[in-house]
Amino acid sequence: QHLPHRSGPSAVLVSPRQKGNPILTHIRSVPWEYSDIPADYLLGATTCALFLSLKYHRLHPEYIYSRIRALKHKYLLRVLLVMVDIDNHEAPLNELAKTSLINDFTLMLCWSAAEAGRYLELYKSMEHTTPASIKNHAATSYAESLVEFVTTPRSVNKTDAIALVSAFGSVRAAVNARPEEIGLIAGWGEKKVQRWTSTVREKFRVRK
Amino acid sequence: MREKMYARGGIFSVTSRILVIDLLTSLLNPETLTGVMVLHAERVVATSLEAFILRIYRQRNKVGFLKAFSDNPEPFTTGFSPLATMIRNLFLRKPSLWPRFHLTVAQSLEGQEKAEVIELEIPMTDAMRDIQNAVLECVEVSMRELRKANTGLEMDDWNVDSALHKNFDVTVRRQLDPVWHRVSWRTKQIVNDLTVLRGILQYVLNYDAVSLRRYLETVLAAHAPPPGSNRQSQSPWLFLDAAHTIFETAKRRVYTGVGNDEGVQRGLPDGLRPVLEEQPKWAHLAEILEEIERDTYFNPPIRDDSNGAILVMCGDESTCRQLKEYLQTMHVRPENLEEGEGEQEDGPGARPSAAYMMRRKLRNYLKWKKDFAKVSASLFAENQKALKGSADFQRGSEAYRGKAPPNKRRRVRGGSIAASAPSRTADGSIQITEDQAPHVTELLAEVQPTETETKQKYEIAADPLEDMEDYYELYEINDLVIVHPYDGDMDEHILEELKPKYIIMYEPDAAFPRRVEVYRSSHSNRNVRVFLMFYAGSVEEQRYLSAVRKEKDAFAKLIKEKGTMSVTLTLDGKGAEEPQEKFLRTINTRIAGGGRLAATAEPPRVVVDVREFRSSLPSLLHGRNVVVVPCMLTVGDYILTPNICVERKSVKDLISSFKDGRLYNQVETMQLYYKNPMLLIEFDQNKSFTLEPFADMSGSVTSHTDLQSRLVLLTLAFPRLRIIWSSNPYQTAEIFEELKKNQDEPDPIKTVSIGLADGEDPADQTYNQTPLEMLRAVPGVNAKSAGALVLEVESIVELSNMEEEEVSALIGVEAGRQVNKFFNRSVFNE
Repeated sequence: QHLPHRSGPSAVLVSPRQKGNPILTHIRSVPWEYSDIPADYLLGATTCALFLSLKYHRLHPEYIYSRIRALKHKYLLRVLLVMVDIDNHEAPLNELAKTSLINDFTLMLCWSAAEAGRYLELYKSMEHTTPASIKNHAATSYAESLVEFVTTPRSVNKTDAIALVSAFGSVRAAVNARPEEIGLIAGWGEKKVQRWTSTVREKFRVRK
Repeated sequence: MREKMYARGGIFSVTSRILVIDLLTSLLNPETLTGVMVLHAERVVATSLEAFILRIYRQRNKVGFLKAFSDNPEPFTTGFSPLATMIRNLFLRKPSLWPRFHLTVAQSLEGQEKAEVIELEIPMTDAMRDIQNAVLECVEVSMRELRKANTGLEMDDWNVDSALHKNFDVTVRRQLDPVWHRVSWRTKQIVNDLTVLRGILQYVLNYDAVSLRRYLETVLAAHAPPPGSNRQSQSPWLFLDAAHTIFETAKRRVYTGVGNDEGVQRGLPDGLRPVLEEQPKWAHLAEILEEIERDTYFNPPIRDDSNGAILVMCGDESTCRQLKEYLQTMHVRPENLEEGEGEQEDGPGARPSAAYMMRRKLRNYLKWKKDFAKVSASLFAENQKALKGSADFQRGSEAYRGKAPPNKRRRVRGGSIAASAPSRTADGSIQITEDQAPHVTELLAEVQPTETETKQKYEIAADPLEDMEDYYELYEINDLVIVHPYDGDMDEHILEELKPKYIIMYEPDAAFPRRVEVYRSSHSNRNVRVFLMFYAGSVEEQRYLSAVRKEKDAFAKLIKEKGTMSVTLTLDGKGAEEPQEKFLRTINTRIAGGGRLAATAEPPRVVVDVREFRSSLPSLLHGRNVVVVPCMLTVGDYILTPNICVERKSVKDLISSFKDGRLYNQVETMQLYYKNPMLLIEFDQNKSFTLEPFADMSGSVTSHTDLQSRLVLLTLAFPRLRIIWSSNPYQTAEIFEELKKNQDEPDPIKTVSIGLADGEDPADQTYNQTPLEMLRAVPGVNAKSAGALVLEVESIVELSNMEEEEVSALIGVEAGRQVNKFFNRSVFNE
């Protein structure tokens, strides 16, 4: 899996086969250059991508397999970037799902050239990013997390959340409030009250 | 335990989710069932659990009976040949329709004496009408805005008339659903606004003036724009003059402001004085009750089976509470009421009034308002700052709008904003004119409880209905006035139990008169008198009428369809496992590899997590002749082969599970135990097959919070993770079948034990989803510490009451501090 670094690591390497592909015009925030590589795009030391438009796939179903074969087992993350540009996408996508499993490809779908370009940009720019932002809970302001917390039970909306907390003063008091007390707040019908009070009192774990 | 119960026999009513699992695990053998009854047949759609249950039942049991009932004809009228489809889903042959206008039905209901119904049209007050009209105007403008933003959509029927329908916001949402991922952020906001507006429309009629005002203020606070946004992120209806009317009129119903003409005439000092408009229905209700009293006094009732009780039916619990309070306090009078307000005719026959109640409400409101100002200050301090920062910018753009004449309509609109300037903030949105503090104090002083008032106990407000059972026998049943909300099928029990002689329908309800009719004709020796109250020319009235009309139309349609329907049925309920198909599968496997002959004997099998039965996928897999094995899985949702483990996420789940880091952990454990971890991104059947648009984030690679960059991060972190994209559950089922070809079948026992520590019982691992989601929303809690917390803490309530040290001991000092702060931070100070 060794790869030659001919250009700086900051550029996306593009196979000359992709010349004329409209998605190239959408790669703007990272530099790119042509290079003779087996994949279509080289997005990092161990990441490459093949591009496939479903319209093309319908006409030349064997094309993608020959490309996959040529790629052998190189690269760690092999992205198959598929542009969904036809209406009857079910059959080809089912087939590609299977193919991606057998040939170790990660299937990514996009619906426009702009989206495809963005994916390529993202892969390149996040090459060294740690996954912290999807690993932990995203930090938000107090008001935001408060609203998120209170609106978790179904049918409780933002207005209700603010009415609830302002009526009781703190989240703790709101959680501990009795159903009759909450029912007095405008906007809180009995269904909502019932949902809220039962959810906060419900046990996390179901024991049999 | 359930197995024993089933074995004993009898009639069971089981929730669908439990029943389907019991049937699949053969805890309940379908062959032993005598029959199945389905209530609410209108909810059985092809992908529902109920249809799944019926399919299993019919597959294994061909002699048992199967009956389905529905009392709601409307769902049977949407879509292509809806009745036939429904019948097919239910594996039934013959539908029978019994509309109200059917001769037999009419005869049996009207054969004997008819129930006496007195309709009372009550005029709304001017203020109420003003508010209602203003809300409708807001709705219209919002609708127009929607139409403009989504030109490609079929929305001829989006007009104010449809706004009269009870669920018009839901209807709009459903129409937008197929493209929901693509519609702009603004459209989504407007759709949310419609929900709010519908709420206001309802509350104008139901709530008393003070509560309405309070609700409106909360709405306004909640609609303050989020911090840091300098685009026009406010809801468009808030910019309208009509919105101004809503808020102003609502306020005038509570108290009048400084320098008001009335105030001057009365020679009162400048300042605020309470108005406290009463709901017109209250007085009428009191009148009716009085009339009934007189009636029973002068014409002693003919002895019959019914009690003398009076039943008041109203829309919901809060209206109930309001009426109870009113009825209890209507004869209490505050002594220091101004002259000329009917005080002279004080005496036993005094006109009932809600003054006492309203004054008490106003007091509470003023108290609340003081707190609320603090709350919004502390909660939305950032917003206000951000707003101020952007105000200049917006004013600039508005000024531009006003001057530049590129578009006539624009100019008019800009002008109108300027015209009603005084009560608006710089960014043109409505702002409640804050009354000066001294005036508020004055007002508060004026409504201070008088002596008579304080004598009345405070407990009235929270008179819980549950107590009724305890004290029920203490009162003579004939003297009771019972206030109760409409409650669907339960209403029949109420009627049966109370045997009321008088029923007052405080709000119209289409279904309730039917129940009264049935009650009336099943007890020929009971007399019932029904009073129906509604506001003339109100949304309430319109809604009632259109509900009645819709039902009639639905029946007409159904009768027509029944006449032309041709039903072809495969009674065995199989998706037809043809012998040929079986043969082909055997051949296929043989070609693939000689070594896998064992698989040919077995039908394909998928292990499914029991929690997944909420989705329609297990049902569809079963429909494709895959054996579905429900198990309690710790890792993954679907196990297709010994190597393939699939985590299913709808787009909505995907976004939320990225946000709280859950997905990362799930994928991490999946790849620990399985060779081929897979993430299935499943779109909704009716929604468009595409992710969010990029429009708002073009070119900015710096922010990594959108779905696409999160997906990229995930695949970078887990190169072995495969992603399956599926536009709907049907396609997913196909893909699963494809993936399973030529592979070994999974072993349920092994899959269950995967991911569990030694000696752990899988049953311990079941969680209640909603509280768990709430837990994850608490700042300081991540997926790992959530795991630690649920082991030690029982519920959200318990967590909220824990000391900081206790929490810290479980999840660490910093996180514990955050959790504690979240729960205990007071919104009043700071």
